[in-house]
Amino acid sequence: MKALLIDDERLARNELRRLLAKHADITIVGEAANADEARAGVGQLSPELLFLDIQMPGDDGFALLESLELPLPQVIFTTAYDEFAVKAFDFNALDYLMKPVDPARLAAALERLHKREGSPSGSPLSAGRIARLAPEDKVFVREGERCWFVELKTIRLMESEGNYTRVHFGDAQPQLFRSLNAMEERLDPRCFFRANRRQIINLAWIDRIEPWFSGSLLIHLKGGLKVELSRRQAQAFREQMSL
Amino acid sequence: MCQPMDSAPSTSIPIAEIGLRQQAKERLYVICQAGGWGFLFVLGVVVALLFSKSEDHNDPVSVVAMQAVATAIGLLLTHFARPVVTRWGWKQLGWRPLVPRVLASSAVMSFLWGLLNYGIIYGVMRTPWTAKFSLWLLFPLSWIQGTTLFVGWMCIYFFYHLFDRFNRSEIERLWLATSVKEAELRALKSQINPHFIFNSLNSLRGLIDENPDRARQAVTQLANLLRYSLQSGQLETVPFEDELRTVNDYLALEQVRHEERLRVRLDVEPGVLNLSIPPMLLQTLVENAVKYGIAPRREGGEIAITARCESGQLRLQVTNPGTLAAGGGSTGVGLRNAAERLQLLFGDQARLDLRENPPGCVTAGVVIPLETGPGMGTRALSSPRGTDTLGRQARRTDQKTVLPA
Repeated sequence: MKALLIDDERLARNELRRLLAKHADITIVGEAANADEARAGVGQLSPELLFLDIQMPGDDGFALLESLELPLPQVIFTTAYDEFAVKAFDFNALDYLMKPVDPARLAAALERLHKREGSPSGSPLSAGRIARLAPEDKVFVREGERCWFVELKTIRLMESEGNYTRVHFGDAQPQLFRSLNAMEERLDPRCFFRANRRQIINLAWIDRIEPWFSGSLLIHLKGGLKVELSRRQAQAFREQMSL
Repeated sequence: MCQPMDSAPSTSIPIAEIGLRQQAKERLYVICQAGGWGFLFVLGVVVALLFSKSEDHNDPVSVVAMQAVATAIGLLLTHFARPVVTRWGWKQLGWRPLVPRVLASSAVMSFLWGLLNYGIIYGVMRTPWTAKFSLWLLFPLSWIQGTTLFVGWMCIYFFYHLFDRFNRSEIERLWLATSVKEAELRALKSQINPHFIFNSLNSLRGLIDENPDRARQAVTQLANLLRYSLQSGQLETVPFEDELRTVNDYLALEQVRHEERLRVRLDVEPGVLNLSIPPMLLQTLVENAVKYGIAPRREGGEIAITARCESGQLRLQVTNPGTLAAGGGSTGVGLRNAAERLQLLFGDQARLDLRENPPGCVTAGVVIPLETGPGMGTRALSSPRGTDTLGRQARRTDQKTVLPA
């Protein structure tokens, strides 16, 4: 597994490198001292795992995740003592290591990672140049003190809000730092459907469909949301569903 | 740190509360005066009408007029006595000095009362003298009667104030207790930032293989820093020298973390080393400077510390690269605590401010008066003197010194 170490302190990166030397399955492909270096590193080295420090000069670790190309690599956060971050992690049971890193905890985190690795991410489904995202792929969102790695299949609805997208999943609807059009390009059309100019729905979450005015459709999603399909999209929807 | 300090120290009773109390007291005073004198007026009229004999040919109108005059004069006398009593500070007096003053003032007021009373009723209003006794007998009698009345008034007045004073001191005592607790709580929080401690320990781990000597040194520095922050919390002031040694340890540890990104310039007059400052004051400023001036900047920067003695004042300055506006994420707690501690210790003579000067640099400045330093030579200082095995060279420097990385 290819890993990229992201931490602004050279000594901290060294220490992590030394700790990871005992884990033969992890290959460290590079290091980055800030978010910009990390973005470049992710692009060039396509690591499958990031060891990510939260507090860095410039963009912090969260902002880096929001800006990375999808699909995201696996992430293990490293942090010294950050009440805010730790609260966010505990809330979602994200993987994090407290610095100085306990070797046993590192081993446990890597163990969990291997277990989760059943579904390979970013499977190229379309013939296009950019790979479509799999339902198991995750996006990173945060809102206030909470943050999530959200699996695409759990997202019921995405709504355009200018350059951002509001995602509805579970009982939360935080903003995603990407435009709806950018998301649509990457989503698997067999799972997600563009209902109208502003909304994309997850087909797996459709509860029932109701004929609406002049040939349009009203879709009821599980969990109570209602989405109106434009007439043109209703036509496309009928065609796709009858196939 | 890069945020303007807000709110004055919350160690006094809020102004609004004092205003409300004052209003309530004023209302009570008006009610008591009006009620008391009104009652006396009605009583006087009733008694005069019931018990006067018919041959006294006292018509009700003149009875009411005489009572009204007497009541009005009494009311005015006591009303003007009130500010005089306040100005002479009688409200703060104890029992013993108060008793003769109350008696004497009541006698004087009663004399004036009688004089005005008889003057107006018989002199101005030309009421015929109908009493059986002569003026020379009646006047002393009414003087004694009036004195009793005014003594009664004064008793009520001072009893109220005694009670009020007791109440107020109780409130103040509770207030003080609360603010002390608050301060203690904040003092606990203002100790070394845990984020720094764990990051340092992490870098230390990395340093052990790479540079064992430096790692050993860093362990000592971290120990010194922790010990100082634990011990100095109980002290009101510490010698500047101790504080500076701690700051040097702290900066050396930050240099382990940030390496060439953190540069330090020290400019300390030798004369200030023995002066007293509140513990963790300089440390707070320097920690802020690293947090907001170095950590968020990829290229890092230089922190300059100057300490001088000028015109009876100790002037400390800590400068770091950055802008005041850039401190958006700051809660300002650290600097506010420091400012409050200065205020408690030195009053308005001490100052802590934050300026963007020169542009692109933020300077935190502290001014502490020298003469009135409460801890100067009077307090037992149990600062960790002699525990520093490193003896960093910056301890007694009078020229610019760059700390070794």
